[in-house]
Formats: sequence, C-alpha cells, structure tokens
Amino acid sequence: MAATADDTEHEEWTASDGSPDGGRRRGTGRIALAVSFFGELLITSGLVLGLFVVYSLWWTNVVADRKADRQGDEVRDHWAQSQDPDTGPGALDTKDGIGFLHVPSMKNGEVLVRKGTSTDVLNDGVAGYYTDPIKAALPTTGKDGNFTLAAHRDGHGAKFHNIDKVAKGDAIVFETRDKWYVYKVYDILDETSKFNVNVLAQVPKESGRNKPGHYITLTTCTPVYTSRYRYVVWGELVRVDKVDSKRTPPKELR
Amino acid sequence: MYGWIWRHLPGNVWIKALISLLLVLAVVYVLFQYVFPWAEPLLPFNDVTVDNQ
Repeated sequence: MAATADDTEHEEWTASDGSPDGGRRRGTGRIALAVSFFGELLITSGLVLGLFVVYSLWWTNVVADRKADRQGDEVRDHWAQSQDPDTGPGALDTKDGIGFLHVPSMKNGEVLVRKGTSTDVLNDGVAGYYTDPIKAALPTTGKDGNFTLAAHRDGHGAKFHNIDKVAKGDAIVFETRDKWYVYKVYDILDETSKFNVNVLAQVPKESGRNKPGHYITLTTCTPVYTSRYRYVVWGELVRVDKVDSKRTPPKELR
Repeated sequence: MYGWIWRHLPGNVWIKALISLLLVLAVVYVLFQYVFPWAEPLLPFNDVTVDNQ
C-alpha cells in the first residue's frame, strides 16, 4: 500500500526520468534500500566481531610469539657473550628479561620472564614478575620470598594457556644464566577473585604455608577466554642446579 | 552500501573485483593494526593479574 502511495507522490519525478516502470521501482526502493542497508550493517558488524575473535585468539599470538622469540634470543646471546666469571648472578639485565620459565606440564616450551605485569610487557608473549601490588622476590637474590609471575591465558602468546594441566607435584623450572631453579607445585587455586592479592604474599598463607621459604606463584585469568577470576599455582623450591657448559637441562625437563 | 560501492568502482567486473579485494584487505589491516589494539584493553577478556584496583 505504501508503495502505491509513494508511486503517485513521485509521479512527476519519475516522468522526467523517462522510464514508465522506474517510479514503482524507486518508490519501493527507498524502503528496500533502508532495509538492505540495515542488513548490510548487521552483516558488517558480524564480520568485524568475527575478525576481532581471529585477532585476539590468533593474530596476537603470532605477533607476541615473534616478539618473545626475538627477545629470548637476545637474552641468550647476552648470556653467551658475558661468560665472564666476575659478573655473578647479580649482574642481571632486568630490562631484557631475567630468565626463562619451563613448565613441562604446560607443554609450551620456554617462556621469557621480564620485569612487570603491565599489559605492555605481557603483550609481548612473556611472563612478567610482579612489581605491584607486592614485589616479587627474585630467586636469584637467594632470599626467602615469593617469586610471583603472571602471563596471558589467551592471546598475546597465551603462555599460561595450559595452566589447568599443571597438577600437584609437577615441576616448574626457572632458568637463569648460571642456575636452574627447580620448583615443585604443591597447591593450586583454580578460582579466586581478581582482588585477592594475598596469593602474592611472601608467605602465601592461602596455600597452607606459614613459614618463610622460596615460593613461586603463577597467576593468570580463568575461565579461558574471560577474565572473571584468577587461577593460581604455587610451587616450592626443591633444589638449585648450576648450569654446566652445555646447558644440560635438569632431569625434570628431559 | 556494498552495491553502491560496487557501482562506483571503475572498470569491468574483474577490475572491480580486484579493487574490492584491495579495499577489504585495507579495512582488515586498519582493524588489526589500529582498531583492535585500541579496543582490546577496554574489553574484559585479558586481565591476568591480581591487583587491588
């Protein structure tokens, strides 16, 4: 009905157009155009959202892995060059990264560890040690404390994607220039609030430990693809191996 | 919208198709390079740390 009304309204205009059929087409065309434009907008937004998923779950991994590989290579080159015995483990270059984390049960090879847990740092496909709200105690200092780390669960390298595959008793190995720090997982918290900063305490009481010791804490988000809760894995230092000339990994990594 | 773009592209069907492809690639590039990196921190998918904020 609306189409016919439109038709008469635009009679003059269509007449000048010279095509007798054109009036009907253009009259309905206005509504059809609006509908099809709206439809195209919907399709477009759907495609953009789909692309965003591709971006976050695939592309950020590509970019981050590339970056992390390059940074990791730099750290290893740096280590190889500075075999000077005078510069002990204290001579850490915290800017490039302080070492590599190996968690065999996560099956993701080595993860470069750098200072800080800001998005800038973590988006490079590394694990960051906390400087805020509670400063991580680096194992290289040899002092008691908690070596607290965070990394992405999805996207940006997704270095802790398989954190749910880590079971009690599994090994976590931290590699520096001169030492292998072998930790053993003793407790897991598979869901906690993101405000629960107590998990980062130097003595993480929530894990059932009351005495100062050498702890390691891995945090990431859970469930996968969201950031609703945090997943926490605690480990305890079992032993420290010296790195030999061939960098033979400890038996946990073989 | 897409029909309008298609009609305003120059050349025959093949040239139009080629230009369309380039346009699509350009849009994807802009999205991946600028729009998504900007939008991502605003969305609650990738916060992995515990903090008191």
